[in-house]
Amino acid sequence: MRQKIYGPVVLVAALALTSCGSATGSGTSSGGATDTLVVWDWKSGDASAAAYLEQARADFAEQHPDTTVEFVAQPFDQYYTLLGAAIQAGEGPDVIMFNGGGQLRDRTGALVPLDDYVADDQQRLAGWEAFSDDGEIYAAPVTLQGHPVYYNKGLYEQAGLDPEQPAATWDEFLDNCATIEDATGAHCFAMGNQEGSGIQFFMSGMGPSILTPAEYDAWIEGERDWQAPNVRQIFELWTEVETTGLNNPGVNSTTMFTDMFAIFEAGEAAHVIGLMSDIGHWKDFNEFLGEDAVGVMDPPIVTDGAAPLLPYDGGIGYGVARWTADPALAADLVRSLTSTDALTAFYLESGAIASDTSIDTSGSGAAAGTLVAQLETGKPALHVALSSATQELMGRLSQQLLSDSVTVDEALEQLAASDQAE
Amino acid sequence: MRSARRTGWLLAIPMAALAVATIYPLVFTANVAMKTRREYVLDRFALAESIRWDSFVAAWTTAGMARYFVNSVVVVSIAVALLLLLGSMAGFALSHLRFRGSRVLFLGFLAALFVPFQVIMVPLARTMADVGLLDTYAGLILAYVAQFLPFTIYLMTSYFSGIPRELVDAARVDGNTFYGVYRRIMLPLGKPALLSVGILNALFCWNDVLIALLVMRSADQRTLMIGVTTLRGQYSDNIPTFAAGVLIAAVPVLAIYLFFQRRIVDAITAGATKG
Amino acid sequence: MAVEGTPLSVRPAGAGRTDNGRASDRRSRRPDPGTRSGPPRNRRRLTSDRLAPYILVAPAVLIIVAFRLWPLALGINFSFTGDLDRDGQPVGLANYIELFRDPLFQIALRNVGLLVLLLPVAVAIPGALATFIFLRVPGHRFYRSVYFFPAVLSPVIAGAIFNLLLAYNGPLNRLIGTVGLGPIDWLGDPKLAMFTVVGVHIWATFGMALVIFLAGFATLDHALLDAARVDGASLPQVIWHVILPGLSRTIQFVVVTTMIGLLTSMFALLYVMTSGGPGGATYLPEYYIWVQMGQMNRPALASAASTVLFFIMLVVGLVQVAILRRAGRED
Repeated sequence: MRQKIYGPVVLVAALALTSCGSATGSGTSSGGATDTLVVWDWKSGDASAAAYLEQARADFAEQHPDTTVEFVAQPFDQYYTLLGAAIQAGEGPDVIMFNGGGQLRDRTGALVPLDDYVADDQQRLAGWEAFSDDGEIYAAPVTLQGHPVYYNKGLYEQAGLDPEQPAATWDEFLDNCATIEDATGAHCFAMGNQEGSGIQFFMSGMGPSILTPAEYDAWIEGERDWQAPNVRQIFELWTEVETTGLNNPGVNSTTMFTDMFAIFEAGEAAHVIGLMSDIGHWKDFNEFLGEDAVGVMDPPIVTDGAAPLLPYDGGIGYGVARWTADPALAADLVRSLTSTDALTAFYLESGAIASDTSIDTSGSGAAAGTLVAQLETGKPALHVALSSATQELMGRLSQQLLSDSVTVDEALEQLAASDQAE
Repeated sequence: MRSARRTGWLLAIPMAALAVATIYPLVFTANVAMKTRREYVLDRFALAESIRWDSFVAAWTTAGMARYFVNSVVVVSIAVALLLLLGSMAGFALSHLRFRGSRVLFLGFLAALFVPFQVIMVPLARTMADVGLLDTYAGLILAYVAQFLPFTIYLMTSYFSGIPRELVDAARVDGNTFYGVYRRIMLPLGKPALLSVGILNALFCWNDVLIALLVMRSADQRTLMIGVTTLRGQYSDNIPTFAAGVLIAAVPVLAIYLFFQRRIVDAITAGATKG
Repeated sequence: MAVEGTPLSVRPAGAGRTDNGRASDRRSRRPDPGTRSGPPRNRRRLTSDRLAPYILVAPAVLIIVAFRLWPLALGINFSFTGDLDRDGQPVGLANYIELFRDPLFQIALRNVGLLVLLLPVAVAIPGALATFIFLRVPGHRFYRSVYFFPAVLSPVIAGAIFNLLLAYNGPLNRLIGTVGLGPIDWLGDPKLAMFTVVGVHIWATFGMALVIFLAGFATLDHALLDAARVDGASLPQVIWHVILPGLSRTIQFVVVTTMIGLLTSMFALLYVMTSGGPGGATYLPEYYIWVQMGQMNRPALASAASTVLFFIMLVVGLVQVAILRRAGRED
C-alpha cells in the first residue's frame, strides 16, 4: 500500500516540474508581430468554408508571401464574450469577423476605420451600411443576409393554386393559406421564436409590406415612431398570425435553426421567412424540396401604398483590430477575404449570397435568381437598425405577446423607451 | 429480511426506468451521428437507415481532433494530478492540524469556491498575459488548478475529517512526522474520495470550453472540447457531425469512470471490513 | 462520529486568534514526550511540526490567491467602471443601480430564490439513489455504471436532445397524450419552463453527486449498519437513524456544490433550451452575465452582476454550511 502511494506523488512532482518548464518554452502567437496575422472567426472550422479560405489565402500570399495567416475558429456562443476579453486586455486577433449591425457598432472603438483601404471595393461589394458607423467603414462585407419570404410550390400545386402566382395582398394570402391547410394539412407559416428572434424575421420580412416607403426610410435613418399605426400593425399582425392558428403550434418552444426550417423543409408549412446565407436559405430548401419547388415571393401587402422589397444587409464581414502592428497589411488581408475569387468559392460551396454582386448566380435555381435580381432595389432590414439591447427586449416582448402576458400597447411603450435610450 | 428484499425489488423498478432515461440519450446521440443531415431533419427519432461512420470521420478531421486529443490528455492529466496532490495536502492540514489562521483559511477556500468564473474571466486573462502564461500548457494547467482546487480542498477536508483523530495520534506516537501521517494514513484511507474527486475533476477539465478558450489563443494549442464545440458554428445545423464529435470526446471520460468506479466501490467494501 | 477538532464541524464559532494559537502550541508539543533521541532532533521536529501545516497549504493558497482572488478583486474593481463610450471611467455605483432597476435582473434574482427552494430535490435524488445502490438493490452494479452517463454528455447535446423530446409535438407529449393529458408546452410556458430546465440540469448532473455520495459511504460505520439490520430496522429507519447522520458532512458538501452548479453552470442548457425565455422567465444571473458580456458588450455591467452573484452565493452557501453543521451536531 505504501509503495503504491509513492508512485503518484513522484509522478505529480515530475509532472509539475515539466509543466513549469513549458511555461517559458512555447511562445505566444497572438497578434502583434508583423510576420503573422491572426484571424478570429466562427466559420473557418466549417467544411463549407474551406474552398473560400483557400482562395483568400492564395490571393493574400501573392501580395505578401512572407506573412503567415492563422485562422482561429471560435465557438459562436462564446465569440463576442472572448472578443470582449481580448478587447479589454488590448491584445488579440489582427483581423476579426463580425455580424453586421449592432455587434459591430458596439465595438467600433476596437477597430480601425477602413475607408481608405477599401475605397476600390466600394462599388463591387454590397452591404456596407451594416458595417459602418457615423459615416465610417469598420469592416468589409463577405455575405449578405436578408429575410425573403420563401414558399413551397409543391404545396401550392397540391392545393390547386398556381405556384407561380403567390398572393399579392394579405387577404388573398390568408385565403391561400386556408386552401392549403384544407388540402394538405400544412401550416401557413413555419415559425420558431424560442430564441426570441422570430420577431426579427417577421418584422424585417413583413415590414416592407406594412410600412410606407417614407416610414421605412425614416425607420432606417433612426426616426422611429413606435406609436405610428403601421408600426403597431407589425406587432398586431405578429400576434394575430399566432391567435388565428397560422403558425405551427408551440412557437415559443420551437427553435429557429433546428426546428423552424426543418418544418418548412419537411413540407409541414407552406411559407417561411428565411435567410439568404448560412442556413435556412435557398440552397438548403432546394436540397430538401427540390429546386423547382422553392419559390421566393414578395411579402403580401398589408397597407395600401407599401412597396415590397427585399430587406437585406451585410451578413458577416471582417474588420481590423486597432492594436494590430500594421493596419495596412491587415487591411490587405481583409481585401483578400472579400476578393471576387474567394467570394465566388464561398457562394458555390455554401450557397451564401455573397456581397460581391458581380458573381454569376445562374444555374442555382429560380429562388437564388429572384434574390439576386432583387438586390438592386433592396434596402436594409428593419430590425438590423435597432440596437442589440432593443433587439433583446423585442425578442422577450414578442414571446410575451404570444403567451398573452403583455399587450401590444405595453410592448410598444417599452420598445420606444429602449430605442430612445440609445 | 424478506421484506427488505421486496422493498429492494420495488425500488429497482423506478431505478431501472431512470437507467433507461440515462442510457437513451447516448443511444439517441449515437443514432443521430449515424444519420445524414437529411435523415436527421426529416425524422430525428427514426433509426438511421444504415450504419455510416462519415460523421465520425468528418468530426475527427474537421475538428482537428488528433492534435487536440494530445493537448487535452497532457493538460488534464497534469492538472488532475496537481489538484489531487495540493487538495489532499491542504485538506489534511485543515482537517487534522491546528494552526494559526486555519479557520480563516478554510473560510477563504470556501469563499473561493463561490467565485463565479464570469467575474474573474476578463481579469484572469489579463493576469495570465501579464505573467506570460497565455497560450501555454502551464497557463491552462494553472487556470484549471485554480478553478477546481477550492472544490477539491473542500471535499478532501470534509472527507478527511471523518478519519478518526486517534488514528493520527497513534501514528504520531509511533514516531511518524506529519508527512508520514499524510502518506501512511490520509492517502490510503482517502482513496475513495481521491478517486471520486479525481474523476470529477477530470470530467470538469476535459469538458471545459471557456477557460481553455480564454487561455489558449492559438489554434494548435487548443483542447478537444473546443474542437468539438466549433463544429456547431453559429447555427446548430450539422447536428450529426456535432453528435459524432461529442461521442468521440465522451469516450475517454466514460472509460475512466467505468474503470475507476470499480476501485471506489472496492474502497467502500474495504471500509466495510475495517469498520 | 469523529467530528472533534475539525475546523469544519466543531470548532466553536467564537474561537479567537489567541485561542487558536494556544491550541496549536499545545498540539504540537503533545507528541513530543522525548520518546526518541536527544533534544536537538526534538527541536528540529518541533519547528518542522509548527511549519508543517503551512507548508501543506502554501501551494494551494498561492495558486488560489494569484489566479482566483486577485482576479476577483480586479473584477470587483472593474464593476465600478463604465461601458461603451464611458469605457474605463469610474462611474461609482451606476452599474449596480442600473442592474437592480433592470426587470430582467430582478427576474434572474427571483429565479435564484426558486433554485434555492429546489435545491433539496436536487440533493435528495442522487442521495436516495446512492443509498439504494449502497444497500444493493437488485441491479445496483448496472445502475452505478449507467447513472453517470449523462454527466459526460456536453450540456449542449443534452439540451438539444431534450429540446426534441420536450417539443410541443414531440414524443413526451405524444406519450402523455395517450393517457388523455393535453399537450404541455414544457419550454414555451413561462410558468413551467424554469422547472423543465432545472429538471434537465438535475438529470445531467446527478451522476456527479452520486459519485460523491458513494465516496461518502466509505466513511460509514458498517458495524452500526449491520447492527441496525440485525435488530430488524426497516429501510426508512436505517436511512434516517444510521445513514443520514453518518453522511452529514457529505450531504453538506453536496448541498453546497449542487447550489454552485445550479447557479453557475446552467448557461449552456439555458442557451440551447430557452435562451432565457419565454419572455425572460428562465433568466438566471449567470445567463444575464453572459448576455451582457458578449452580445451587449457591457463587460463592466456584467462584472457588477457577477459581483452580486458572488455575494449571493457566499451568503447562501455559508448559511447552508451553518445550518447543516448545526443539524449534523444534533444527531
